[in-house]
Amino acid sequence: MTLHFTPVWFIAVPLLLAFLSPLWVRLRLLMPILLGAHVALFALALSWIPTVRVAPLLETIVIAPPLGIHLHLDAVSLLLVALFNVAGAVVSAFLWLSHAEPHLRGRPAFILILLLIAGSSGMVLTGDIFNLYVFLEIVGVSAYALTALRRDKQALEAGLKYLIVGSVAAIFILFAIVLLYLQTGQLNLAALARDFGHIPAPMQALIGLLMLIGLAIKAELFPFNFWVPDIYRGADPEITALFSGVLVKAFLFVLFHLVFLLLADPAVARTWLMALGATTMLVAEAVALRQQDLRRMLAYSSLGQVGLITLALGFASEATTAGALFHMVNHTLIKLLLFLLTALMLRRFLSVRLADLQGLGRAMPLAAGLFVLGALAVLGLPPLSGFASKLWILKGFAEAQVFWPIALILLAALLEAGYYFRWIKVFYAPEPPVTAGQAEGDWAYTPLLLIAGLLLLLGVAPFLLEDWFVQAAKALLGRGAFLESVLGVQP
Amino acid sequence: MSRVPLRKRFRVQTLLLILLCGWLLMLHLTLLLNHGLDGLTTGVGDTLLARNSETASANAVTSVVVSYRGFDTLGEVTVLFLAATGVGLLFAGGLTSSPVPRDRDSHPNEVMVTGTRLLFPTLLMLGVYVVLHGHLSPGGGFQGGVIVATAFFLRMIADPAFTLDHARVDFYESLSGSGFVLFGMLGLVLVSTASFLGNFIPHPVAAMGQLVSAGVIPLIYLLVGIKVGAEVGAIFQDMLEPEPAPDHDHAAKEL
Amino acid sequence: MLEFLDSPRVFHGIYLLGSLMLFFIGLYGLLAKRHLLKIFVSIEIMELAVYLILIALATSPGETAPILSDGLLTFTGMADPIPQALTLTAIVIGVAVTALGTSMAIQYHRLTGKVGVGEMTELKD
Repeated sequence: MTLHFTPVWFIAVPLLLAFLSPLWVRLRLLMPILLGAHVALFALALSWIPTVRVAPLLETIVIAPPLGIHLHLDAVSLLLVALFNVAGAVVSAFLWLSHAEPHLRGRPAFILILLLIAGSSGMVLTGDIFNLYVFLEIVGVSAYALTALRRDKQALEAGLKYLIVGSVAAIFILFAIVLLYLQTGQLNLAALARDFGHIPAPMQALIGLLMLIGLAIKAELFPFNFWVPDIYRGADPEITALFSGVLVKAFLFVLFHLVFLLLADPAVARTWLMALGATTMLVAEAVALRQQDLRRMLAYSSLGQVGLITLALGFASEATTAGALFHMVNHTLIKLLLFLLTALMLRRFLSVRLADLQGLGRAMPLAAGLFVLGALAVLGLPPLSGFASKLWILKGFAEAQVFWPIALILLAALLEAGYYFRWIKVFYAPEPPVTAGQAEGDWAYTPLLLIAGLLLLLGVAPFLLEDWFVQAAKALLGRGAFLESVLGVQP
Repeated sequence: MSRVPLRKRFRVQTLLLILLCGWLLMLHLTLLLNHGLDGLTTGVGDTLLARNSETASANAVTSVVVSYRGFDTLGEVTVLFLAATGVGLLFAGGLTSSPVPRDRDSHPNEVMVTGTRLLFPTLLMLGVYVVLHGHLSPGGGFQGGVIVATAFFLRMIADPAFTLDHARVDFYESLSGSGFVLFGMLGLVLVSTASFLGNFIPHPVAAMGQLVSAGVIPLIYLLVGIKVGAEVGAIFQDMLEPEPAPDHDHAAKEL
Repeated sequence: MLEFLDSPRVFHGIYLLGSLMLFFIGLYGLLAKRHLLKIFVSIEIMELAVYLILIALATSPGETAPILSDGLLTFTGMADPIPQALTLTAIVIGVAVTALGTSMAIQYHRLTGKVGVGEMTELKD
């Protein structure tokens, strides 16, 4: 009997901890375990870096692929799993250390947050398309329930909207999976990638469209993202931090993973995906200009960044992909910081409308300072990490002699500057602040300061992770290597 | 009624929607009739079917559900668990809602109560049978678990003296769920299988068709049955009990 | 007289026609109806149509259930077990999502008295 550390631990351990939750309630260990699990899994992810650098790790479950389900740990999935667990750890530390409302610290919240992260990791790791659907539903159901966690009118309405839109998206994805199985008789991603070319062309288009609609709804791309601001407005900011930081990233990865795998030549979909990304970015940034509620503004800002990442990933060159993955990491960290700050502001001011936050800089100097830092990182100002990743994307486009995305990205950054400074100006307005809620202890700021430190570190020394991002981009784009590692033959 | 103008009886929006759906239907139909009719020629399903005797389970669907694609099943049980958690959360006490109109005075009549009490053990027995014979005949953990939950549901709505202990349901749910994961991990750490959810109990093909056969498959399906029964039962109970149930949040408030 | 039904193309064609019609009836309900419960019913209909397509098109006429029983000793001439397993999984997931959705709708109705998606205005600024 030996103890194997395998990728399945990323899913099995959270499941076990969630099933055993009545025990943790009795021992009063909910919050420590929530934090501990994510930290431990993050450490586990880090311990695999040397292995994965050599070759992707395949974890067979019961029967070897392409017959059964397997987990595929390569550079890009390892990167995202590590990122998701960092996000989980930060949010759980914040919930533990700050005066979070009881509903955010109870048993349901524990189960839902734990499984949201586990499901996202599963979506990224799995090498089987139906298993992907199962994880997608795990993530979906936990996200619907988390949205409605506060159980007041607004949270319930947001949860209902999310549930309806999400289930419709899931049906489209399931339909596409069913058609794929009926056409090829395969469920393994690598085998599907091999056989997809033999499907008649109109059928390919139908499957692609169904999949694209489903995943675009889930990944919040225009024009399927009409519901997003309502969800972000209605749910608790601590939860939306996870939605924006983890959920969207997982779905974006799934979308592009499927595109790069199934299409032998990604250039077929390049124009469409880039157009989708560009419109998402510009529409969201333009609408964000006139938002009166901080949560809505951040939701649109998040959509804008999702558009930027889609634009860069859709181009599918190695430099833009690596830059986009870097930007994914940055955006997760930044949005965690901003949404958790929103949570603190909401507790202190009981409202996060523009008019109510006047003079916040004097009541909560640290929060205002961190908000400015986060805003500058979104804009991409040196020496913050957003600068490094945006520069990488822009360099990628410039190397390929494609200039219209560069113009659009710079325009979007200009719009971003417009609305972030509108809020910062209000924060430092001379009017005296009207605080109604309770002040927060210093401990609540620990996880936030940690993120701020990371943003600075990645901005000053992007070369620390540069190699990893390049490897991840190669893994994401390397269709041949993926097929070879699973099926054992060069296609 | 008769004087309603035509444009008010048929709304343009409805008509357009019908046209849109009809057009999409025609589009899909032509596509699928042209390209999707030949059915599956070769696929992983046939390979698994041919290899199925290695699991020693007489029901090939069960060996796919529990063994070959057992990871999906674990995920599916998790989705049900999440939904049960969500429903429990929504119906837990403490909501400042308008009182629920519910006729407390109308009790089911004696025939109903007695009949339900007589039916209860039969239903339970049927459910347990379906769960235990999942690897031999149609049925299994999900079907049997739902039958067991139905038995309890019948008692809950028809028998005023019957209450289900929430803590005990939670206990079974937790026990069976962690049991499933632990079985999976046991398959991982034992050298003979070295795979998550591997079938580590000896399962000779000769025993195929007997009640004790197929290694861990019946055991896992039993756990699935308990879990599904407990979760569906908990969902029923939460929906049925509008009055404040034991508050899930009270433990958290003390933290 | 009805032998033509045994041809796989006719068999599959009939199921395809029926289940696709179901799917688009569901889609129509989803787009046209405003009541929350009707929307959940429409979503369920769409899901069921997808399951039907999977089960019907993966099985050919003449195949038996993939279970060994009296008289059947080898796994040949049987239906593909994978679609059945997938459908089982998908049905349970569908039930779970619907249970959560109806619970939310009930609570929302208790708090606000609203039942239609058109009247959902709590999140407007």
